[in-house]
Amino acid sequence: MKRSYELLLILYPRAHRAEFSGEMRQVFEAAAAEHREQGRAAYAGFLLSELIGLMAGAARAWVTPQRAAQAAAARYRHLPQEVADAQQRVDDNIIGMVHPIANHQFEKARTFSNLEREARANLRMVQERYGMES
Amino acid sequence: MRHVAPQDSLEIRPLSEPVLLILTSLAGHPRHGYALIKDIEMLSSGRVRMSTGTLFGALKRLLEDGWIERFEQDDTARQKQAYRLTGTGRRQLEAELERMKQLTRAGFARLRAAEAL
Repeated sequence: MKRSYELLLILYPRAHRAEFSGEMRQVFEAAAAEHREQGRAAYAGFLLSELIGLMAGAARAWVTPQRAAQAAAARYRHLPQEVADAQQRVDDNIIGMVHPIANHQFEKARTFSNLEREARANLRMVQERYGMES
Repeated sequence: MRHVAPQDSLEIRPLSEPVLLILTSLAGHPRHGYALIKDIEMLSSGRVRMSTGTLFGALKRLLEDGWIERFEQDDTARQKQAYRLTGTGRRQLEAELERMKQLTRAGFARLRAAEAL
């Protein structure tokens, strides 16, 4: 379950993950242990609530327009334009993945996932060209 | 619905329930993530069990707005970071509680008036 939670954290913007993923994992583990002791129904309810909370939280983290724009501006400020564009394509495909996953449209989510993988490979290539580490 | 802010106020806007509960929980003393979840559950008489997604989304916004800050505790690791209210956060909470108090008073007055008819 811990592994599944960690995988779901990938839905969040990188900056959010860097800042909070350790704390989120730690709080999730503590709460999961508590609910596990309360029986199957309580544990299942807890997991469902966590899943919905993570989906909604990730979507909010990406789509809150002003904050997202500010975060993106800060993230890309020091990057060469070509790298910033490549990074933007990766981020756009991650955003595209959130809604289909939340609506169980897994085929569509897989399409975005493939596009994201390609965009990430392209980003690595561009970064190497600029002598940057990925 | 449009909210009209009083002219001489700081930036007052009605707070969402998660934000109100987090600020109320931190009004007493600093708390880390899990302690916040447990305290909020108690404050709401078991009605609200905040998920980690909701909690950390709200904490991030509150940190960005400067309403709360990280609080270094000698005995806690990075993964068990504590948070506390800033002066701005305290003023926002006081303003929101005052707004709710006025609304509650007005609501009860209307109910009493309706019952008297």
